[in-house]
Amino acid sequence: MKDVLIKVINDAVQKFGAEYIEARAQKLFKTMLTVKEDRVEAVKQGIENGVALRVLVDGAWGFASVGALGVEALTDAVSDSCRMAKAASSRIKAPTKLIKTKAVEDKVSVRPRKDPSKVSVEDKINTALTLSNTILGYDNRLRSCTIDYLDLTGTSYFMNNEGTYLEQDKLYVWSRTTATAKEADVFTFSREEVGSTSGYEIFDVETPEIVGERVAKRAVEQLKAKPPKGGTFPVVLGPNVVGVFVHEAFGHLAEADLTLSGSVLSNKLGKKIASRTVTVYDDGTINGAFGSFKYDDEGVLAQKTPLVKDGVVIGLMHNRETAHKFNTEPTGNARAEDFRVEPMIRMRNTFMQPKDRSFEELVEDIKFGYYFKSFRGGQSNLDGTFQVGIQEAYEIVKGQLGAAVRNASISGNTLETLLNVDAAGKDFELWPGRCGKGQTAFTCEGGPHVRVKGVLVGGSD
Amino acid sequence: MAVIRQGEMLSLVEDAVSFASKRGADEAEAFSYQGLTTNVVIERGQITKSARIIDRGLGVRVAVNKSVGFSYTNILDNKTAINETILKALSYAKASKPDEDWHGFPAKKTLPSVENIYDSSIVELHSDDLVRIASTMLDAAEKTDKRIFPIDGGVGASHLSQAIANSNGIANFDHGTIIECSLATIANEKGSVTPVCFEFNVERNYNIDPDWVGREAARLAVSALKAKKIETRSTEVVFTQFALQQLLYFTLINAVKSDFVQRNQSALKGRIGEKVASETVTIYDDGLLKGGLRTWRFDGEGTPQQRTLIIEKGVLRNFIYDNYTAEKEGKESTGNAARAGYISTPNIEATNFNIIAGNRPPEELVGTIDDGLLVYYLQGAHSSNPASGEFSVVATPAWKIKNGEIAHAIKGAMLAGNIFQTLKSISALANNERKIGQLVAPWVLVENVKVIGK
Repeated sequence: MKDVLIKVINDAVQKFGAEYIEARAQKLFKTMLTVKEDRVEAVKQGIENGVALRVLVDGAWGFASVGALGVEALTDAVSDSCRMAKAASSRIKAPTKLIKTKAVEDKVSVRPRKDPSKVSVEDKINTALTLSNTILGYDNRLRSCTIDYLDLTGTSYFMNNEGTYLEQDKLYVWSRTTATAKEADVFTFSREEVGSTSGYEIFDVETPEIVGERVAKRAVEQLKAKPPKGGTFPVVLGPNVVGVFVHEAFGHLAEADLTLSGSVLSNKLGKKIASRTVTVYDDGTINGAFGSFKYDDEGVLAQKTPLVKDGVVIGLMHNRETAHKFNTEPTGNARAEDFRVEPMIRMRNTFMQPKDRSFEELVEDIKFGYYFKSFRGGQSNLDGTFQVGIQEAYEIVKGQLGAAVRNASISGNTLETLLNVDAAGKDFELWPGRCGKGQTAFTCEGGPHVRVKGVLVGGSD
Repeated sequence: MAVIRQGEMLSLVEDAVSFASKRGADEAEAFSYQGLTTNVVIERGQITKSARIIDRGLGVRVAVNKSVGFSYTNILDNKTAINETILKALSYAKASKPDEDWHGFPAKKTLPSVENIYDSSIVELHSDDLVRIASTMLDAAEKTDKRIFPIDGGVGASHLSQAIANSNGIANFDHGTIIECSLATIANEKGSVTPVCFEFNVERNYNIDPDWVGREAARLAVSALKAKKIETRSTEVVFTQFALQQLLYFTLINAVKSDFVQRNQSALKGRIGEKVASETVTIYDDGLLKGGLRTWRFDGEGTPQQRTLIIEKGVLRNFIYDNYTAEKEGKESTGNAARAGYISTPNIEATNFNIIAGNRPPEELVGTIDDGLLVYYLQGAHSSNPASGEFSVVATPAWKIKNGEIAHAIKGAMLAGNIFQTLKSISALANNERKIGQLVAPWVLVENVKVIGK
């Protein structure tokens, strides 16, 4: 592979005058399966090989992607990408520049205890069927469940014209389980995901029995849950909800490309935007976590990036382009889903740092409010408006957990809400997720339990 | 990389089916896909990049003793690699469990003709042409108002081809084009930022208006300035197609899929013939819509696409089927098996989900409201309860309507309710039909929506 990439890189520089060129090649293998109730829908596998070329000519980017690894196809792609860049550069006002980085050569291997590519497909089917049996056997009001499983293994190659050459093993294991329960006219829905970069051994911890019961129990409990009241209430957020809040409501605004686009964090670097309780990191180095990797897709070493310390914004997430604009170091946040697309600034494992309170201490002073334990989805906007939908919630009445509540969601302005965070727990959990920003990235989100003085709850009652 | 043509794509899938059958498949199906895309990207006020993406591959589905296996590859220049892929599908089918409801792949049928899905002038567009289109859009936005900032957008032109063959004699080829331009802007005044305002055009023929997209994206952002909070109450709401698409995608569209119905995940199960929406609502799933974004001659299993009546004057008439769910009920597929290129097995999806437009101009809908909202987009619709249809979302950007006119932008308002209740509360539809993703619909006026404000 290396010889082919060297030729491609030389071509771009010598024949087309590229200021910068990088080639990312991948040889990936996927196994997927879907189980619906007790039926194995289809067992699937696939090969995805290809190369992405990105060049900088006259200050504009050109990009070409081909599903091939041969010299001939890549030679065409080089001329394509340089032609693309030339066309794009015709109206460039502020030419794109990259911050300098040190050239690095490395080979990164993964050593899973259980390599998913060596686990038999029969084993994978049986794990999914055990999960399904656990759910449907839990209670006869559970009507259906769907289990999707994916593993991805292989190697990615990176080379640029500045002397960096990397070979990295890739390994992801993921599953998503959803279930619905029905009683009279009430429908409930429950979802859990498992994700890891360590190996198939994740299912020895998140066993089908444990995950199945978690999904089933929630769906059944929600049957007797009531709709929330609409309005502003004090709330305690579980680590799973804190994670998605930190990711959606704050994290996206701290992606330097979005900060430059005018997110509410532009001009906030070094300023206090949250209560002293809030410290936030985006960390690509947590062993085995779903958002971890060694080098990003620009060949930059992933790091643990502090974003907020004691309420003050102290960092953003960068690629080499935004790092140049801010005159700072790149943080290793440039990620591309595959060879079909370009790297963009994405989160890795994003979390709030735990503090000192017990769960009881967080709840005890609340006369009436809500405990939001687990999320269903979330979304944010550049103006700081966020929304997080909740799949598991309870009332808090006179300092005690009360009745279950279904289909709630919370919303507000990120900066106002962060100032309203008035206490954080000493516990900590990290949950796997998948983030969509045009492309899908595997991530983790988490934190401790957190109390917020007041947040808008969207309820139909 | 050389483009592969109709003949090569067809022989690729026919050869794969015959190889799989020889090697022990009871039945086999092969699908090949080629996507050729050129695009130009706008970032923060300027054109910054251009890309050429060539993606193609082959997916093979086989059944052995009622067990199904699937395998795909994007390496097509090597016969051995293709055959290995087919053998892998066979070995996965053998490793899987039999499904008593499996009744095989669809039979061969005559294909319908479709109009306005391919335009050779789109195929001939180069990156220079797309740069010109993007410039027109950017210039139009910037000329409209100084307070706006185009944050991202672009122009893309694609030529998509697909071929499918199966062991029942199906051997189909189809191709089509898509061109789109889009622009997202924000407006900034005295330190306050608007939410992202987005406009686009997407067509199968070379018939887009980048000047309009630029002007409209800018106009929206400017009118989203000076947003105010509103009180909690129930009110009349006009939803644009953007908001409607977000609301329906995770709820109603799932509820009419036969697999959701058969698997007890649909609130519409057992309700064919019942009134599920107001009388003003008629919906077709129209796989043959002239120039529709999801119009093709056949679906992901090679079944002819068709026009299926879903809701007629408020009464639920049909669900949408692929071959598997149709066979299960002794029915015929409605041609709703969709594929995400060569990498996926078919899944039931709506084609062009067409809510038939009314005859009143949109201004007239707004004009009838004394005190209500115009909601352009929703945030968080994907966190709706997909089974029950309950939603709790943020309306942003959205505008207050007072005495029949747009009064001012609003901020921080949530909408909560149940989509099936909402459908019954639709009191009027405008005549401004447009295509957004799967949805083809006008603006709709809904009575009595719960709005949670300050």
